[in-house]
Amino acid sequence: MRMPRLFERETVLAPLMLVPVALYMLLLVGFPFLMAFVYSFSNVTVGNPEFHMTGFGNFSAVLRDPVFLKSLLNTCIFTFTSIGLVLVLSNMLTELLMREFRFKWLIRFLIMLPWTAPIALGTIGYLWFLDSVFSPLDWLLRSWGLLGKPQALLGPMSNLYWLGRPGLAMASVIVVHIWRLLPLATMIRIAGMNSIPREVIEAAQVDGAGYYRRLFHIVLPLLLPVISVTVLFSTLFTFTDMTVVWVLTKGGPPDNSTQVLASLAFLKGIQGGDLAQGAAVSLFFFPVLAGLAAVVLRLAKKAVVT
Amino acid sequence: MKKRYTRRDFLKHAGIGAASLAAGPALLNNVFAQTPGKRTLRILQWSHFVPSHDKWFDVYAKEWGEKNNVDVVVDHIGLADLRSTFAAEVAAGKGHDIVEFIDPPSDFEPAVLDLADLNQEAVKRFGKQLPVATKSSYNPHTKKYYGFCHGWTIDPGDYRKSLWEKAGKPNGPATWDDLLVYGAKIKNEQGVQLGIGISQELDSNMAERTLLWSFDTSIQDESSNVVLDNPKTVEAVKFMIELYQKTMTPEVFGWTAASNNQLLLAGRASYILNSISAYRSAQKDVPEVAKDVFFTPALKGPRGTAHACEHVIYVTMVPKFAEKNADLAKRFLLDRVANYDRAMWESKLYNSPAFFSAPVPAGERGYPAVAKSKSLRDLHNAWFGKDPFALPGERTDKLLPLMDAEKWSVNVGYPGAANPAEGEIFGTFVLPGMFARVAQGKQTAEESVKQAAGQCKIIFDKWRAQGLIGKK
Repeated sequence: MRMPRLFERETVLAPLMLVPVALYMLLLVGFPFLMAFVYSFSNVTVGNPEFHMTGFGNFSAVLRDPVFLKSLLNTCIFTFTSIGLVLVLSNMLTELLMREFRFKWLIRFLIMLPWTAPIALGTIGYLWFLDSVFSPLDWLLRSWGLLGKPQALLGPMSNLYWLGRPGLAMASVIVVHIWRLLPLATMIRIAGMNSIPREVIEAAQVDGAGYYRRLFHIVLPLLLPVISVTVLFSTLFTFTDMTVVWVLTKGGPPDNSTQVLASLAFLKGIQGGDLAQGAAVSLFFFPVLAGLAAVVLRLAKKAVVT
Repeated sequence: MKKRYTRRDFLKHAGIGAASLAAGPALLNNVFAQTPGKRTLRILQWSHFVPSHDKWFDVYAKEWGEKNNVDVVVDHIGLADLRSTFAAEVAAGKGHDIVEFIDPPSDFEPAVLDLADLNQEAVKRFGKQLPVATKSSYNPHTKKYYGFCHGWTIDPGDYRKSLWEKAGKPNGPATWDDLLVYGAKIKNEQGVQLGIGISQELDSNMAERTLLWSFDTSIQDESSNVVLDNPKTVEAVKFMIELYQKTMTPEVFGWTAASNNQLLLAGRASYILNSISAYRSAQKDVPEVAKDVFFTPALKGPRGTAHACEHVIYVTMVPKFAEKNADLAKRFLLDRVANYDRAMWESKLYNSPAFFSAPVPAGERGYPAVAKSKSLRDLHNAWFGKDPFALPGERTDKLLPLMDAEKWSVNVGYPGAANPAEGEIFGTFVLPGMFARVAQGKQTAEESVKQAAGQCKIIFDKWRAQGLIGKK
């Protein structure tokens, strides 16, 4: 049976094919976002869907809350430390994986492994790894004499209590988040590297450019669009994600040492029952993140053109 | 030959996909639809910590349905997902007919039916309800029973007898001061610490309330006024910091709800605050540790007051959207209380009844008959006097100190009733933060108590404005 001629026209077919995506965006992204926006200006609670509009009351209440300010600081530390380290580490891994060596496939497979398991499951594995009693990491440190003896480098206690000390807990959530993000960042970088014409690199080599000159004057500028996109997605993803923090520390150790905005929004909105303030916390940085997205996308576009 | 996938094929399949997407809500709608001719009662509750309870309950619910010509569907979900699941159901206006929480879900009051008639009928049939249960299901300000509480769980102290014997206190601590003096002695001389959490998790929340009440202070008074900022709270915080410094390690700041159980089972805790489920796990996994675990009632504070938080309070709700099945739900819940002897037995005494005077049904009950047991109180006393689940060769009188636990067990919100503000303070870990700031040297006890009281006042004022807490 022939399709109607109407569908042969690009002006009809193209919008039609966009409909599923548009519907998806509208129903599963746009509608919840709109609800969150409305909720943040209301007094809605989990137990009472009927609500009144309260203006900017939730936002001013949230701004006066010391837990919010601490969570904001934690979110910045968590995001920018993770992203900075992911950039450096993914660069190193890319350099390694661009070379030929034995068992390269195995290394690639191991690097991709964090993406094969659900993140919550992987993080639960880390929960055991960092356990206050059974941590195998502590066991290794003890067996190497670095922990658990009066003169030991890391102290006389039998364990480091990774998730019980504010600094170590923050370091732990950052490391696990890096473990989660690194495969994607590395694969994007490898794809970017493969797109750089070999003759450009070879010409620089012939002209006597060393490794660092090639890296900073040729490779990185050419990779800028790819890096921009990686940074954009990783930053947005990290800023709005709570999985690692929630599974490992629930925002603790007290007093909210690793609480981030996303986990605070859940804590206030669902655990605390105040859906309106939870929505206000989650939307607080929407304008900043939206602006950031616009800037990075513009940067990427500009880099492609030049 | 491999068939080529044309643009037309794509359009056809995309059309089917789009149609499925459009039909999705209708399909979801059917999930909660009634089976024609036979009514369906849907129950949502947590996965019990003692698996044998759920195994029994699912069979019991099915049989109850057969007797009453009703399909009963029981959905067990993880404790962590219970609030978010019910919140979604409230927002959707569709879902289960009975939802059971294990803490007072008072913030859901506007979305659920008033169960005053059910509570009154239960009192008529089974006698007086424990105050800890009533205060966790009744709002004295709105005069509404937002829930029906059928049971609860005791939260005793669990101690390792051999360690305390060596320290010169064979029957374990009786006061918080004993915990400090002998706990420190055990840590210094035997290298085993105490395990009371100061973390952002459930057990720490309960432990810190228990400490405050035993030091004659609390977050709110009987009339829902915030009274946290007072010298007795400062005294309690200073005590906890000393207790932490002399008897514990920084791990207590990073604990999950399971951590104190794990520490006890690993033989590395001299005393923890937890229900008997920690001991039951030890009986199964490390019997040599279990045989050494004994129990204390609530410890006395400096002025002799001794209170402990209930460990679990079973509060069931009937949402407004399930009104058409409310009669079934109420009948089911009344019958559940009438069969509470089975809940006690199948949970291995983890569940205690909210109606101690309820009669024990006649006939074969699935457990060895207990002579002269006419009420749940008789059964409770007999089983707590001689634990039927003790291991061979193990002492059977270990639960004896918990026999009258209802005298010292109180609700979240004590001395007032549970309310949404207390719930939010519990859910957002305000108290663990208050203790931790001092333990980590970031604030003095006075400063930290003042900050926590300020946070509590803001939360109380917010819920007052919602009309769920009385005016000051």
